[in-house]
Amino acid sequence: MGIALFDIIVFPGFIFLGILSLVAEFTDRKLNARLQNRVGPPWYQPLADFIKLSTKETIVPESASSRMFRALPLFALASASTAFLYIPIWSTTSLFPFSCDLIVVLYLLTVPTLTFFLAGWFSSSLYSEIGSIRTMTQLFAYEVPLYMALLGPAILADNWSISGIASYYYIHPLMALFNIPGLLVSLVAAQGKLERAPFDIPDAETEIVGGTFTEYNGRFLAFFRMSIDVELVVVATLIAAVFFPLFTPANAIVGFLIYLVKILFVIFLLAVLRTALARLRIEQMVSFCWRILAPLALLQVLIDLIVKGVLAH
Amino acid sequence: MIVDRIVTWARMKSPWIVHFNSGACNACDIEVLAALTPRYDVERFGILLKGSPRHADVLVCSGPVTLQQKERLKTIYEQMSEPKFVLAVGTCASSAGVFNGCYGVCGGVDTVLPVSAYIPGCPARPEAIIDGVVKLLKSLKK
Repeated sequence: MGIALFDIIVFPGFIFLGILSLVAEFTDRKLNARLQNRVGPPWYQPLADFIKLSTKETIVPESASSRMFRALPLFALASASTAFLYIPIWSTTSLFPFSCDLIVVLYLLTVPTLTFFLAGWFSSSLYSEIGSIRTMTQLFAYEVPLYMALLGPAILADNWSISGIASYYYIHPLMALFNIPGLLVSLVAAQGKLERAPFDIPDAETEIVGGTFTEYNGRFLAFFRMSIDVELVVVATLIAAVFFPLFTPANAIVGFLIYLVKILFVIFLLAVLRTALARLRIEQMVSFCWRILAPLALLQVLIDLIVKGVLAH
Repeated sequence: MIVDRIVTWARMKSPWIVHFNSGACNACDIEVLAALTPRYDVERFGILLKGSPRHADVLVCSGPVTLQQKERLKTIYEQMSEPKFVLAVGTCASSAGVFNGCYGVCGGVDTVLPVSAYIPGCPARPEAIIDGVVKLLKSLKK
């Protein structure tokens, strides 16, 4: 009981994940600013934003469904945080590994996107409804390439648990070189998952005000922003665990530093993509995902099948 | 109280703005946009431009309030959540300027909303706008 509470509250629960997500948001914004030749926000900026938003007055629109409006941010934060439990951090096994947890993690990462859709829908404002329809359209476009890109390494490792994949590539590090197309595809698809440029179509502030979060304010908006940051950390950890097989099971402190370097590198790649590319239109995004990303992800699966067949003989 | 001090600190460090044109000639709007460009880099002070008034703390108004815009300005203000501040950018927003007494104009922004800070100038320079926001935030401390 005591250990479970420690897991939920301190590590790897809300306190650890909260600090890590604030660090991730700061890194992302600072890199974005530096790449645009700006100074960028000070280190405490995400914390100040969070405290300010959570102490503001909260307005629930009269036409919105009050119960859903209040509950959805908590669902988003809870499912994004839960996904973190099944991803290995410094050792090759996660806290609670079980077979096929890769699929569970991917579905837990889909739940926040669904809550964004429902949040926009239940706030019953025109802009937020357009935003939520765009969220769903985008979900159908990036989800398939993202899943296939992560299933390729799983096929080669012959294991559908993230801990199993991590320990396979830890023993055979050169095998990770076959997964480079999958890494590229999952980096681009992760931009869609996290709703960042060039795929920030659902909350395009120049077209549809605030997108799905138009009506959200105060602490509910703070929770939604927090859950997007947690999602960023979880996606970076997942990509790092599957595609960068650098673990030190023997030494937790060195392993944790390597883990930080790995996720900051993934966040750096995501920030470069966000800064360098402009927003696409929704139909350009869908056709890009199905015409370019999905075949590349299929190529990844094919490479892994061929390598596995060659190794078997 | 330490909690109050932390909350005041957070409010000072993270002012999100929403920009509203209540009838300006566009000169002040262009200066507001210029203040938001990477050259002045207002994200250093935590200032972000938000599309939705629900997210914003500071309403940046430019121009005299025309009769057409009066109700809309009030609606935008009421959509923001407390604590909220209004910033009048430019001479017209402060006092209606040359449009004072015009048949379609009801005066400066302070005839409709409680204004926290006035930034004079025709148009107000980006440096003046940033200075005004910083002074407004410093006044929160008292």
